[in-house]
Amino acid sequence: MTAAAVTGRAPYRRSSLRLVAHQVRYEQLSFWRNPQSAIFTFVFPILFVAIMGALFGSVGRSSYFGGLSALQYYVPTIAALCVLGSCYGQLAVALAARRQNGVLKRVRATPLPAWAYFVGLLAHCVLVSLADIALIVGVGRLYGVPLPSDWPAITLTLVLGAASFCALGVAVASVISNAEAAPAVAQLVLFPLLFLSGTYLPIHSSLLNRVTGWLPVRPFNEALTGPLSRHTGADWRQLAVLAAWGVIGAMVAIRRFRWDPRPE
Amino acid sequence: MHTQLTGGLSPAAAATTREESTMLPAINVTGLRKSYRSVQAVRDVSFCVRPGEIVALLGPNGAGKTTTLEILEGFRARDGGAVTVLGLDPGDKPAGRELRERTGLVLQDIAVEPYLTVRETIARQAGYYRAPRAVSEVIGLVGLAGQERRKVRTLSGGQKRRLDLALGLIGDPELLYLDEPTTGFDPAARRGAWELVRGLRAAGTTILLTTHDMAEAQALADRVVLLNAGVVVAEGPPAALGGRDAERARISFRLPPGVPIADLPVPAGMHNGAVVIEAAHLTEELQRLTRWAMDRDVTLSALTVDRPSLEDVYLKLTADGVPSGAPERSIR
Repeated sequence: MTAAAVTGRAPYRRSSLRLVAHQVRYEQLSFWRNPQSAIFTFVFPILFVAIMGALFGSVGRSSYFGGLSALQYYVPTIAALCVLGSCYGQLAVALAARRQNGVLKRVRATPLPAWAYFVGLLAHCVLVSLADIALIVGVGRLYGVPLPSDWPAITLTLVLGAASFCALGVAVASVISNAEAAPAVAQLVLFPLLFLSGTYLPIHSSLLNRVTGWLPVRPFNEALTGPLSRHTGADWRQLAVLAAWGVIGAMVAIRRFRWDPRPE
Repeated sequence: MHTQLTGGLSPAAAATTREESTMLPAINVTGLRKSYRSVQAVRDVSFCVRPGEIVALLGPNGAGKTTTLEILEGFRARDGGAVTVLGLDPGDKPAGRELRERTGLVLQDIAVEPYLTVRETIARQAGYYRAPRAVSEVIGLVGLAGQERRKVRTLSGGQKRRLDLALGLIGDPELLYLDEPTTGFDPAARRGAWELVRGLRAAGTTILLTTHDMAEAQALADRVVLLNAGVVVAEGPPAALGGRDAERARISFRLPPGVPIADLPVPAGMHNGAVVIEAAHLTEELQRLTRWAMDRDVTLSALTVDRPSLEDVYLKLTADGVPSGAPERSIR
C-alpha cells in the first residue's frame, strides 16, 4: 500500500512545487533577518560601484577597458562578483556551518527530499542575485551606464551562472570537513581567480585570458558583459564553459555531500 | 489525540491501520553489528519495541547506544544483522522517506536557524510532512506558549530543548526517538516533559528513549535495554532489571555505643560504621529486630530498608567498561 493510498492525499509529485516554495520562503526569511548577509548583499555592491564611479566616472570609452567606459566594464564584473558571493561563497560557508551545528542533520531527519532542499537553496540564491543585479544596474545608471535591454539573455546568464556557482559552492562545502576552514578555503580559491579573471582590473595578457577563459569566473564576467554593456545577446560559448563547471560541481557534490557532522 | 490528527483518514480506516500495525513490532533489531575501522561499536544487539511501548536504551558512553539509534534512524549503514522499523528497513533508501514521515526525532547537539522565531521554526518543519499537527497545538504541548514570537537565538537552553521536542512532534509521528530529552531541564520542567511523554504514550505513540538519568528511565520506561561494550547485557522492566526485584533486601542502621553486634537476634555485618543485614525473609527479620530493640530499649538510628536501585544494577552490569579504542566522552 503506497503512502498516497493510505492518506488519500495528493502524491508527492504534485506537492513538489509547494514544497520548494515553502523552502524558499524560509530561506529568504532567515537570510534577510541575518544583518550580516543583508549588509553584504546590499551595502557592498552599492559601495563598490559608487567607489568605481567616483574613481573612473569621468573616464569615457577606452581601449584599456576593451572599448567600454570604466563603469560599463565594472557594472557586469561587480554583478558577477555579487552572484559569486551569494551563490558560491556564502553557500559554501553556510552549508559547512549548517552541517557542523546539526541543521543539515535535522533536515535529513524530515521527509523533505534532498533535491527539494537544494532546489530551494538555488532558487533562494537566484532571487538574491536578481536583487543584487537590479541594484547594481540601478547605481550604474546614476553614473551614466545605459540600462540594458536584452532581459531574457541577462536572466538566462544569471540563472545558469547562479546554478553553476551554487553547484561549485555545494561541492566545496562537501570537500571541506570543518566549518572553521570553510571561509578560508572558499576565499583562497576565489580571490586570486577574481583578480586573474579581470573582475577588479582588465587583464591584457592573452595567455592569461586564454587560461582563465576555461575557468569559471571569466566566462561569467564575459557572459554578463555582453547583454549588460555591449548590447549583444547571450554568449553561448561562455555559457557552455560555465555549465560544464556547474556539472563538475554537481558531480562532486552528489558524490561527496554529507548531512551528518560526524564522518563514519 | 492521535487518530484525530491523522489527517485524511476516516476513523474506520485509521482503526484498521492501527490494528494492523499493532501486530508487528514497531522496532525489531536482530544481531546488529557495526564497526568504525578497527572499533566494533555494536557487536551483537537484538531487541524489540512493541507498538505503544516506551523503551529506554541505557548504557555508558561508548556502549553503542548512539550508533544503534543512528542505524534505526537511517543515518548510518549497518555491517550486519536485521533491522525493521515500522515494518520497513531503515537501510533501504526508497523506504527512507516514508519512514521519516512516520517517525520523529529529538536529537542532541542539533541546531536551528538562529534568526527565525519559535513559531516560524516549527511552521517550517511542519511544511515538510504529509499530515502535520497544528503548530499552535504543538507549541502548547511542549510549554512554549507565549514564546511564539521570540527569536530562537534568544531562548534559554531548556527552552531550546522544548523546541527540539516540538520539532520531533510536529509530524505527528507513530514512533518517536528521544535522545536524552530532558538534559538541561530544571526539576519542574523535567516533570513536565515526563507528563508530556506519558501523554504521548497514552495517545498511542511508541517511544525509544536514551538517557543517563536512571530516575528518568525508572519513571518513563516500560522496559529497559542495557547496552555495554556493544552488546545487550540486560533487558526487562526497570523494576526487575538484572533480577533486582529478586535480590535480597538490605536492612541498615546504627547501634548505640556499648551494644555489641553479637547481641543482635539475626546475623549481621558492619559496613562503613553501619550494621547491615541481608534479609532473606524481610518481614520476619525486621520484626525480630524491632522487637529485640524495643525489649532492650535500644534505638536503631538511621534505620533503612532498601533493594539495589536501578543505578546499582546499572553500575554493576556495566562495570567491565568501555572497549578499548572507543571514543571516550565525559559523562554528565
